[in-house]
Amino acid sequence: MSANENARVAPLVGQHVQRGEDLRFATGQGRFVADHVSTTTLHAVFLRATQAAGQIRSIDTLAARDCPGVLAVLTGTDLAGTLAPIGALHEPNEAFVDAFSFQMADIAIPCLVTDRVHYVGEPVAVVVAESRAMAEDAAELIDVDYTPGTAVTTPQAALEPAAPRVHEHLPDNIAASLRGGFGDVPAASKGAAHRVTGRFRMGRHSGVPLECRGVVASWDPARGRVDVRTSTQVPHFVRTAICASTGWSVSEVHVSTPDVGGGFGPKANVYAEEVVIAYLARLLGREVAWLEDRAEHFVASAQGRDQHLDAELAVDSTGHIVSWSVEFLADVGAGSLWVAGITANTALHSVGAYRVPHFQVVGTAVYTNKTIVAQYRGAGRPEACFALERCLDMAAEAAGISRLEIRERNLLRAEELPKRLPLPYRDGVPITYDGADFRRCLRACEQRLPDDLLDTLRARYPGMYLGSGVATYVEATGRGPYESATVRLLADGTFEVGVGSACAGQSHETTFAQIAADALGVPMSAVRVRTGDTDAVADGIGSFASRSAVVGGSAVHRVCSQLRARARELVARCLGIEQDSEHEPTWSEVGRLLAPGGELAEQAPLSVTGTFEPPTVTWTMGAHLAVVGVAPETGIARVLHYVVAHEGGVEINPTVVLGQIRGGVAQGIGGILLEEFDYADDGQPATATFAEYLLPGSCDVPPVDVVHLPGPAQLNPIGVKGVGESGTIAVYAAVASAIEDALSCPAGTLTSTPVLPSTMLDIAESSVDASV
Amino acid sequence: MSDIVVDLEVNGVRYERTVPARLSLADFLRDSLGLTGTHLGCEHGVCGSCTVLVDGRSARSCLLLAAQVSGATVRTVEGLAESDGSPGTVQSALARHGGIQCGFCTPGFVVALTELVAEGKELDEEEIREALSGNICRCTGYHGAIAAAVELTGPDPGCAGCDQECGS
Ligand code: FES
Ligand code: FES
Repeated sequence: MSANENARVAPLVGQHVQRGEDLRFATGQGRFVADHVSTTTLHAVFLRATQAAGQIRSIDTLAARDCPGVLAVLTGTDLAGTLAPIGALHEPNEAFVDAFSFQMADIAIPCLVTDRVHYVGEPVAVVVAESRAMAEDAAELIDVDYTPGTAVTTPQAALEPAAPRVHEHLPDNIAASLRGGFGDVPAASKGAAHRVTGRFRMGRHSGVPLECRGVVASWDPARGRVDVRTSTQVPHFVRTAICASTGWSVSEVHVSTPDVGGGFGPKANVYAEEVVIAYLARLLGREVAWLEDRAEHFVASAQGRDQHLDAELAVDSTGHIVSWSVEFLADVGAGSLWVAGITANTALHSVGAYRVPHFQVVGTAVYTNKTIVAQYRGAGRPEACFALERCLDMAAEAAGISRLEIRERNLLRAEELPKRLPLPYRDGVPITYDGADFRRCLRACEQRLPDDLLDTLRARYPGMYLGSGVATYVEATGRGPYESATVRLLADGTFEVGVGSACAGQSHETTFAQIAADALGVPMSAVRVRTGDTDAVADGIGSFASRSAVVGGSAVHRVCSQLRARARELVARCLGIEQDSEHEPTWSEVGRLLAPGGELAEQAPLSVTGTFEPPTVTWTMGAHLAVVGVAPETGIARVLHYVVAHEGGVEINPTVVLGQIRGGVAQGIGGILLEEFDYADDGQPATATFAEYLLPGSCDVPPVDVVHLPGPAQLNPIGVKGVGESGTIAVYAAVASAIEDALSCPAGTLTSTPVLPSTMLDIAESSVDASV
Repeated sequence: MSDIVVDLEVNGVRYERTVPARLSLADFLRDSLGLTGTHLGCEHGVCGSCTVLVDGRSARSCLLLAAQVSGATVRTVEGLAESDGSPGTVQSALARHGGIQCGFCTPGFVVALTELVAEGKELDEEEIREALSGNICRCTGYHGAIAAAVELTGPDPGCAGCDQECGS
């Protein structure tokens, strides 16, 4: 439309545009799920399993029902036949299944258990009362009589032939399995000059968003539907799950997200609480809220990682990779709706950014009596990266070359890219690393570590042992199957854009508005973005797997470009005005012409809804460099300096990209140095508060220097690659390497996370002993 | 359960309310006064998202009872904006430096930074990190909050050590 109104020359994509969301967040006007509760809202409280394994003999709810203010007390038995269990959220494509002999057990997660409990924290009963305190008091009076069972809490124990089964209806504790690769690893590795092996473990930890989960649902009698507000990354999946569980049709369920206080994967899951609260709102005809508290979050929200990996890397005498093989066990607790995604991710990211002639991977996901698992930022990738990068450090030592050199020699070069692997991705499409030059990122990291920086840090932290480490990663981003978007012109000449990707802090309102404004040729102020609402777009996938900017952004671009073209066509056809002519009407004139009484009122309104289906994933690659100081008297490690150099696509908003990477690094630092959900042998969780589960604070996260190197991104119209997990994946390996360097211990000494001060103290002491 | 009368000033408005003796200050602010800018991330005194100013000093409103602050002057994140609702100095610095993502920790950081600035000390980066260590942010890696604090407590307000091209 005409440029005389809304005139704007420079594109917004690529600019450090200040986030539109910030005004409300900075001034306390954000509206999170708990802020939607009113004085008339009823409160639900879940009674949760206190045993990790066992049978429920009986549940006595009489006393609870009698409590003042209690409206409902329901158990699994009450709901059996009413609410069906929740099924898997992801099943891989057939070509992947064939190539990896992928198998997955048939389980679904019950809304409330009926007779058997599987982990401490599993929902057993729900109480609805006038206030939360009343509901809590009543829940305390419910008497559950258990016949305790034997819990299994490690995948190794769970795989023993005589192990108790976590799920009675299954033949064993195997949740999923796969096996695949290329070349001939046994034959190739036989003659290799050096073979290093490692047994690695990545501890169980998770996103732990600062806002816990929560659901507020109400019944709308006029429209005959339930409105569900939930703190989720995947509102459309939640709607699908509610419909599948209740049998209601799609038009009977409206799901929306309020402002969401962080997600990171645990909220890219569908939960029993979402289904039960929606059901209760309809049953009672009232607004019902459930707000998870922190203690509950530690047992009831999905956790992540928790893998054991056995790996062998063979290199020739010059340190070139000959073969690489990994066998891993993923502990998915009592179940994961994402088990296929997690196991596939580890397998598919195991090759890394290197030239690997022979590769094999065997993966098994295993049930244990621990909290359920979802895809935590990285989702199987940090584990793969940790095993490979640790082995590369060991192989470098064996071959007598530096840790940088071994990577330099094996990283895929410009002339080898794009690189096709003889493996299909989860979507069935053969993997192609669509990168530019993987050595570039490593070199960029090196350049950001001038010699005098280490000297400066040594002077600043005189008592510490200092060391540095590097690691690289690859990540498949922007996966499909699709994302949808819609745009419509309003009568005042502004636009409303709806996108299926919900936001949990990733600045979608800003970045999608930048894309839309560019495509429409208007300033950002003319665009309003709605995300996370099944009313905004009928279909959607959601925000996870570094996909929203790529797939959601492309969908926005597509519908907005189409709307602009359609408007021009309309103006030319009905008004006889050609594009770019000085008579071309402004958008607000078009809005008025289309409004009732306007000259074009008979024409269809200007609105476009469409989807973007990426042909396959687009790969990013990056290198991380960490400088770590270890205090020898306490064993406390502190990351002092950090560099991430990554090959990305177009940055829609560089400030947002920086924020994603820095925040990702912070979470990786938590994972390698601080965070773990601990369980006793009987399955009782030992981490119940932030006193036991430590999150990185302002002194734990260093300044993170980010180098953005543009790579090709031809799989989507806006040239974007995902960045949400780039900051996290390689942190574990880079920091472990740096600690070994600081403590001058052999490569491969550190094999499990978190690396605790006690471990570092032991190493520091033994290396002192050794040197005496 | 006994009720108790509290009389206090919040963001310049005086309130006299009868509340349950066990009501926390956070719940009082959120549920009784509708000031939902104060967030609850742990209700355990660890995360700092519930931080408010009580007589000018930062305090965790999840650990205080409303009854304990009777007679006090309380300021919450809502009370730190300009009178026309536009963001205050600390609020806009935090935004400008990319210190906000999901926004859940933000009220706590705004309050903590406000206290830091009011103390009027010139702090180096290490001291700033120390001073902000009571506030957890799970999204940002603290870069923006620290850059904002450097600007706000530094000798000449400006954009020290910031690569966000924040325009200041
Ligand atoms: S809610 Fe008060 S410190 Fe976390
Ligand atoms: S911005 Fe999300 S916790 Fe700080």
